[in-house]
Amino acid sequence: MARIVACYKWVVDEADIRINPDRSVDLSKAKKKISDYDKCAIEAAVQTATAIGGKAVGLTFGTADARQSLKDALSRGLEEVYYINAEEAAQADGAATANALAAAIKKMEEVNLVICAEGASDTYQRQIAPRIGAVLDWPVATSVSKLEVTGNTLTAVRKLDDCLQTVKVELPAVVSVLPEINNPPIPTLKAVLAAGKKPVKEFSAGELNADLVPKTRVADLQGYVMSRKNLIFKDGEAVDQVKELVAALKKEGVI
Amino acid sequence: MSGVYIFSDKNDIAAEIIGFAKSAGKDAILLVFDEQTAKVMGNSGADKIYLVNGESELVESYARSIAQLLREEGAELFAVGATPRGRDLAARVAVYLNCGMASDVSTLSCGDGQWLTQRIIYGGAVQQTEVLEGLAVVTIPGGKFEPVSGTGEMVNITLAADRRISLEETMPIGHQGADLSAAEKVVCVGMGLEKEEDMQLAKDLAAALGAEIGCTRGIAEERHWLPAERYIGISGAVIKPKLYISMGVSGQVQHVVGIRDSQVIVGIDINEKAPIFAAADYGIVGDMYEVVPLLIKALSE
Ligand SMILES: Cc1cc2nc3c(=O)[nH]c(=O)nc-3n(C[C@H](O)[C@H](O)[C@H](O)COP(=O)(O)OP(=O)(O)OC[C@H]3O[C@@H](n4cnc5c(N)ncnc54)[C@H](O)[C@@H]3O)c2cc1C
Ligand SMILES: Nc1ncnc2c1ncn2[C@@H]1O[C@H](COP(=O)(O)O)[C@@H](O)[C@H]1O
Repeated sequence: MARIVACYKWVVDEADIRINPDRSVDLSKAKKKISDYDKCAIEAAVQTATAIGGKAVGLTFGTADARQSLKDALSRGLEEVYYINAEEAAQADGAATANALAAAIKKMEEVNLVICAEGASDTYQRQIAPRIGAVLDWPVATSVSKLEVTGNTLTAVRKLDDCLQTVKVELPAVVSVLPEINNPPIPTLKAVLAAGKKPVKEFSAGELNADLVPKTRVADLQGYVMSRKNLIFKDGEAVDQVKELVAALKKEGVI
Repeated sequence: MSGVYIFSDKNDIAAEIIGFAKSAGKDAILLVFDEQTAKVMGNSGADKIYLVNGESELVESYARSIAQLLREEGAELFAVGATPRGRDLAARVAVYLNCGMASDVSTLSCGDGQWLTQRIIYGGAVQQTEVLEGLAVVTIPGGKFEPVSGTGEMVNITLAADRRISLEETMPIGHQGADLSAAEKVVCVGMGLEKEEDMQLAKDLAAALGAEIGCTRGIAEERHWLPAERYIGISGAVIKPKLYISMGVSGQVQHVVGIRDSQVIVGIDINEKAPIFAAADYGIVGDMYEVVPLLIKALSE
């Protein structure tokens, strides 16, 4: 049965990142999540598989803690998840990530479409979909806001800065989808319970025989500190709050 | 010819990247795909302009042959304007060159056989400095470098394209020409707005202030209540007005990245815990349907 592969990444929730006074970055309190827009990639795979009678599967490349993502991903309608469990994921750049994902895709059978999101919420590089396509030598359509598979042909609408482009391509292919392509539903309790029983196929780095050495080196990380006045009017009548605000803005000379 | 190879589907970004290459003491070699662009870019300081002829209308489809050209010529960098087409082409070229790539860099400089870049990650919460050794690929948004002028030689070249993907239809997206980045004041609406009719509230506030209207991504891309060029943030516009006032905007980092250079930031949100208040100079915790009409009234008094 034709497989539609949704690539998703298990990422740090950026809302939990703490920045120390010296601008160093503290991730120790941060929870992890499926990258926001990857939920749309998963939903697009599920919808496409339903439409063509195929099988929607997930694929993730992560360190040991990405195991926590499996149940969440499976509760979103995927039938199985392929999990590349490798310490190399912690240092991976676009090149290493695409190599890992492409190697796993090669090992799967009957893949006819790979769906990535526009960008991951941590890196937001927007590299991985076109990179996977180039590694596999499959055609690519990025920035897709609408897609349809009929027979062996994919028709996709790409949203670019200046136009909408409709492109056609023979499968297998790789696409990156924009978040507006769908509205991923919140998994039902039933789906969450069923997720625990769905199959997971795990790959080790060694098994994949892919080049996972990063080509870019991170030299420094610095947190961004927002230093603002933070004068918040929260008590009393709205009329008085507004008065105080208008007075403050006049004093600032901006109105 | 070694040097910095450049492509952008936006001419102003291409011109800025040429400016970067020249200021770094490198030759600038520009790739264009049509004669009109070749003409427009004729005096942009490029040492050489390759006018590419080929069988595809999609620039992304030339990735493999562009990579081959870069290799043969001994290119030092492929620098591409950070637009959807540019990012796509650049990432594929990086694979064919088997090299590193930094996307949407905010700074770029050249060291001893290496490139130093900075870009934001985690939605804008953190700035990452990266080192790319040897031949590398970067994408660069507009506004980072100064253009220069000067003419160079023009060379016609035919490149092979991937023909497996075909363009069926192109529909231009109408832009209203709103330039939020130049606005002095901006009223920003978020998903806290209940109905499209309620946009009137934002319009009235904008009129009272003499402000432009901006929004969060969801208002433009999911609800389509405003055109895409009106949304602010990491994937939208970056603005630097004297005054930014938000209504019903939670203030997630991906949005706030776009307003950090504002002189004064004001947030109006019903949720005291909304992150917009940490990013704001002034804030009102309250229902915007109550607060904004009062504000409009106070402003017109
Ligand atoms: C990779 C990536 C890139 C992104 N890029 C962008 C980007 O460029 N720009 C962008 O904007 N977003 C971007 N986002 C999305 C971003 O993370 C947030 O989801 C988005 O900014 C939230 O929009 P919002 O504040 O309008 O909506 P919400 O987060 O839903 O906030 C709505 C707010 O309205 C308030 N509210 C509700 N009713 C009322 C009322 N009656 N009165 C007052 N307040 C009320 C609520 O308390 C809430 O705080 C990106 C996300 C990702 C993952
Ligand atoms: N480690 C990963 N595992 C699975 N998919 C990934 C991984 N990294 C990136 N992707 C996919 O590629 C998309 C773009 O990522 P990026 O190019 O890093 O912004 C993501 O939204 C995912 O769909």
